[in-house]
Amino acid sequence: MALEMSGEYDLPQKREIVWKALNDPAMLEKCIPGCETLEKLSDTEFQATVKLSIGPVSARFKGKVKLEDIDAPNGYKIVGEGEGGVAGFAKGQASVALADEGEGCKLTYKAEAATGGKIAQLGQRLISGSAKKTADRFFENFVEALKEYR
Amino acid sequence: MSATGIGAAVRRKEDQRFITGTGNYTSDISRPGELRAYFVRSPHAHATIKKVDTKAAEKMPGVAAVLTGADLANDKIGGLICGWAITSKDGTPMKMGAHPAIAADKVRCVGDAVAVVLAETLRQARDAAEAVEVDYGVLPSVVDPAKAAAKGAPQIHDVAPNNMIYDWHLGDKAATDAAFASAKHVTKLDIINNRLVPNAMEPRAAIAEYDQGNDALTLWNTSQNPHVARLVISAFVGMAPEHKLRVIAPDVGGGFGSKIFIYPEEVVALWAARRVKRPVKWVSDRSEAFLTDAHGRDHVTHAELAIDANNKITGLRVHTIANIGAYMSTFSSSVPTYLYATLLSGQYAIPAIYAEVDAVYTNTAPVDAYRGAGRPEATFVVERLVEVAARELGLDPAEFRRKNFVKSFPHQTPVIMTYDAGDYDASLTKAMDLIDYKNFGKRKAESEKHGKLRGIGFSTYIEACGIAPSQAVGSLGAGVGLWESAEVRVNPTGSIEILTGSHSHGQGHETTFAQLVSDRLGVPIETVSVVHGDTDKVQFGMGTYGSRSGAVGMSAIVKALDKIEAKAKKVAGYMMEASGDDIEFKDGKFTVKGTDKSVGWGDVTLNAYIAHKFTGGQLEPGLKEGAFYDPTNFTFPAGCHIAEVEIDPETGKTTIAKWVAVDDFGNIINPMIVEGQVHGGIAQGVGQAMLEGASYNSDGQLVTGSFMDYAMPRAADLPSFKVDTTVTPCPSNPLGIKGCGEAGAIASPAALINAITNAVGHENVPMPATPSTVWKAAQGGMKKAAE
Amino acid sequence: MSNVTVTVNGKSHTVDVAPETLLVELIREKLRLTGTHVGCDTSQCGACVVHVDGVAVKSCTMLAMTADGASVTTIEGLANGSALHPMQEAFREHHGLQCGFCTPGMIMSAVDIVNRKGSDLDEHTIRDELEGNICRCTGYHNIVKAVAAGAKAMKGGAKPARAAE
Repeated sequence: MALEMSGEYDLPQKREIVWKALNDPAMLEKCIPGCETLEKLSDTEFQATVKLSIGPVSARFKGKVKLEDIDAPNGYKIVGEGEGGVAGFAKGQASVALADEGEGCKLTYKAEAATGGKIAQLGQRLISGSAKKTADRFFENFVEALKEYR
Repeated sequence: MSATGIGAAVRRKEDQRFITGTGNYTSDISRPGELRAYFVRSPHAHATIKKVDTKAAEKMPGVAAVLTGADLANDKIGGLICGWAITSKDGTPMKMGAHPAIAADKVRCVGDAVAVVLAETLRQARDAAEAVEVDYGVLPSVVDPAKAAAKGAPQIHDVAPNNMIYDWHLGDKAATDAAFASAKHVTKLDIINNRLVPNAMEPRAAIAEYDQGNDALTLWNTSQNPHVARLVISAFVGMAPEHKLRVIAPDVGGGFGSKIFIYPEEVVALWAARRVKRPVKWVSDRSEAFLTDAHGRDHVTHAELAIDANNKITGLRVHTIANIGAYMSTFSSSVPTYLYATLLSGQYAIPAIYAEVDAVYTNTAPVDAYRGAGRPEATFVVERLVEVAARELGLDPAEFRRKNFVKSFPHQTPVIMTYDAGDYDASLTKAMDLIDYKNFGKRKAESEKHGKLRGIGFSTYIEACGIAPSQAVGSLGAGVGLWESAEVRVNPTGSIEILTGSHSHGQGHETTFAQLVSDRLGVPIETVSVVHGDTDKVQFGMGTYGSRSGAVGMSAIVKALDKIEAKAKKVAGYMMEASGDDIEFKDGKFTVKGTDKSVGWGDVTLNAYIAHKFTGGQLEPGLKEGAFYDPTNFTFPAGCHIAEVEIDPETGKTTIAKWVAVDDFGNIINPMIVEGQVHGGIAQGVGQAMLEGASYNSDGQLVTGSFMDYAMPRAADLPSFKVDTTVTPCPSNPLGIKGCGEAGAIASPAALINAITNAVGHENVPMPATPSTVWKAAQGGMKKAAE
Repeated sequence: MSNVTVTVNGKSHTVDVAPETLLVELIREKLRLTGTHVGCDTSQCGACVVHVDGVAVKSCTMLAMTADGASVTTIEGLANGSALHPMQEAFREHHGLQCGFCTPGMIMSAVDIVNRKGSDLDEHTIRDELEGNICRCTGYHNIVKAVAAGAKAMKGGAKPARAAE
């Protein structure tokens, strides 16, 4: 894949609660930047619509989000792939791991992303920045939403 | 020389409409009731098409139809073809994969069309394209030509195992190996000739209209050769018989080769217009142009030069892998073969040359002729080798070249070509004088005082133009003849229309062709107009590319003018009761030899039409003649470009301090236009050497797909150029013209890279030599010097 | 759809346009003034440059609606009747064009450069100021000469001097 990212976050909740949140469609819908709909197809598969802008190209991507390599409550791999029509496609995956850390827990992730079509053609120079920003925003949203999460 | 005749810097006739915004480009044309077409294109470099669902799109507002590759196949519309057959070493023909205008089963590059939406407005078509759902089965892709033939590489066309289209060779292998075996010195280079996007400023466009009553089609397109487009679309695509298909290429905003080819969108527009019985207009976005215009260059080469103890070049050996892209474009096969390897002798007398070329498919846009087409690649190989060899041998690069120049003509090279005329010493000497070569050392020392590096680089290039003798190219695999046609229509009042099969898309034919007629017939240039680019007006023509319009197109006009003059003399003879043989024609006046009896041009043209002075039995009325001119040889423009650069080793910024071009184009019709062609060619070569490079990522996505990411030369990237000429008239055509359209692009990359490598002190500077590349090279060079 | 009133080349037009309509689309498609060209889709090439209230604008970057009430000059409106503008004359005189596609934008930008920088322009200034206009044919050599000569002629109000042959 074209782009790799990683990061870690200290979360203010116990690992079990974080794990529950990571598997909660409502939570994911709230936290995925630009997510307009997220429907559960099964325990591990969701149908999503995400609006994404990279540089001059803005498009609504329709696709599937799948959870793989589930190791409750330690982590999973979240894999997404969406078609944005004329704008092209975007796909990505992130391996998320949780570990106890004091009162809360530490989340580390390693992600890869790739795009194709017009979004790759016109937004290439901006993709790494956009992808990093999208990942950061997801986790920022997640940290914020976790505060209230039970 | 008259003010408007041959050799005069006549201001261009066509400029009036261009500077007032009244030109007529294809996208300016609008037909009543037209639909706009928008293509759904693959975002994947390589994938099977599992399903194309057009239902939702068809229901969108304004949509007239959504057509797919399956519809195209059902209507039995043929695929696009490559018109030059190349044979591999083992005698097998090249392996051409099918190229449907809309993919039905498989896409092979990003941008491959999978459907077309026709709607009342462009916006509606674009919106509906969003609703076309395509289910792709994504396959692994390959974009690097050096990896395309490797074991395990994705297979792009079933007919071409290992993606190998042909492995071709030229020259005498045994003799060349022997030259290397006995060489005193061998210079070796690995060269990547970077992939370029032509980017004529006018994006391609096509408008098709169907006339139901006559079952006839008209296509307006951005073509350098409308007749060839008609022939291919008729004979190979099977759209309509030639007499039922009219192709009009009106004002065309630059081509540089990329508008020679027959493209899928033109075929689709015609087919769709007939299907929906409404005109269909398609105009390319720049983004689409990046993905779908044929790209240029993209060679990976290993080259070696053998030199004997007397510093004479004895042999040259080349192996090149040429990237053809996902499909074989119209003339793609000829570019890395007969337009490339045949020029590997450069300006030098080299006894033995052997070239091997492997052409491969990759999951990238098709690659075909781009300004120079094969000859820039050859020149870069030869001129880099020669320069590096001189440096390795501690010789002055100019003197090493001079020692090895071809000095007598005709000269038969070991790679087909027979050079007919030239004086390579003369252009080199003049260029060295103009750039003040002898004081280069002083300028270098001055630069060094300011912490800058200074370098100088030569390129003594040759090209084969005036393409080309039909029988000769036929024997090399061309599917067409490469003559040109002309028709001279003289009106009763003496004004003249020149109909030519050449096509002007910036070259100024409306002016230069009129200059020829004005000069030849002694008539005011204002009374001459040039008609081109319409298959209903001009009977046939081969179009404009390969610097052929002067050498071939104008030669056809000369032939037709000869006939006009002969007939006009007969008319004048009847008018003055003298034999046609006794009539002299000069400066627009017909005179009975040895008398003061004369009649003027306008009298004769009128009499040709009123036909009162002769009977039908004596002479046919009218004054209109046509001619086909088939050249007897290629022409061989040659010359010397010298680039001098100053580099800031701290930033890698390269400034072109001086540029001198001395070209031998044979006789020149309009020096102002010729200089303009040289300027533009150099700019494109400088672009290749310093700025431009089409780059695909490993997934086959074009990441230099816009003017934001693909560095087009801007005004501030270039210097003013010092341009001059030497003249050895071409003996192979009546005007002595060699052609000037491509020289700048052919000569300049090598001159610039030779200058940059001279400045940084080593040879490892790939193209494009961007500031980051040059910075690294400069740092490396200084490290090397410190050791 | 909503009404936009623009004065183009001295003539007032009221046109019904969709909100996303670009100024260049209004000019080319609604008013059929096709001298203004579209050479890219990322606002780099400058083939679409027109003057809006006397200032050069890439008409592909401006919505038609934002031009409501404005006065627009396109290449078709630059000449004074049959008398060419000095910059047009200079482009012809110095062979500052080949295929002609970038030319309208080049000329409109050149006039704007003179309006902003005065009529005594050196090569360096001209080259820098043409950053937003791409030409693929000329290598800019003759465009630079044409702009310098056109600038001088604009000052003098006279035709540019005939170039040395």
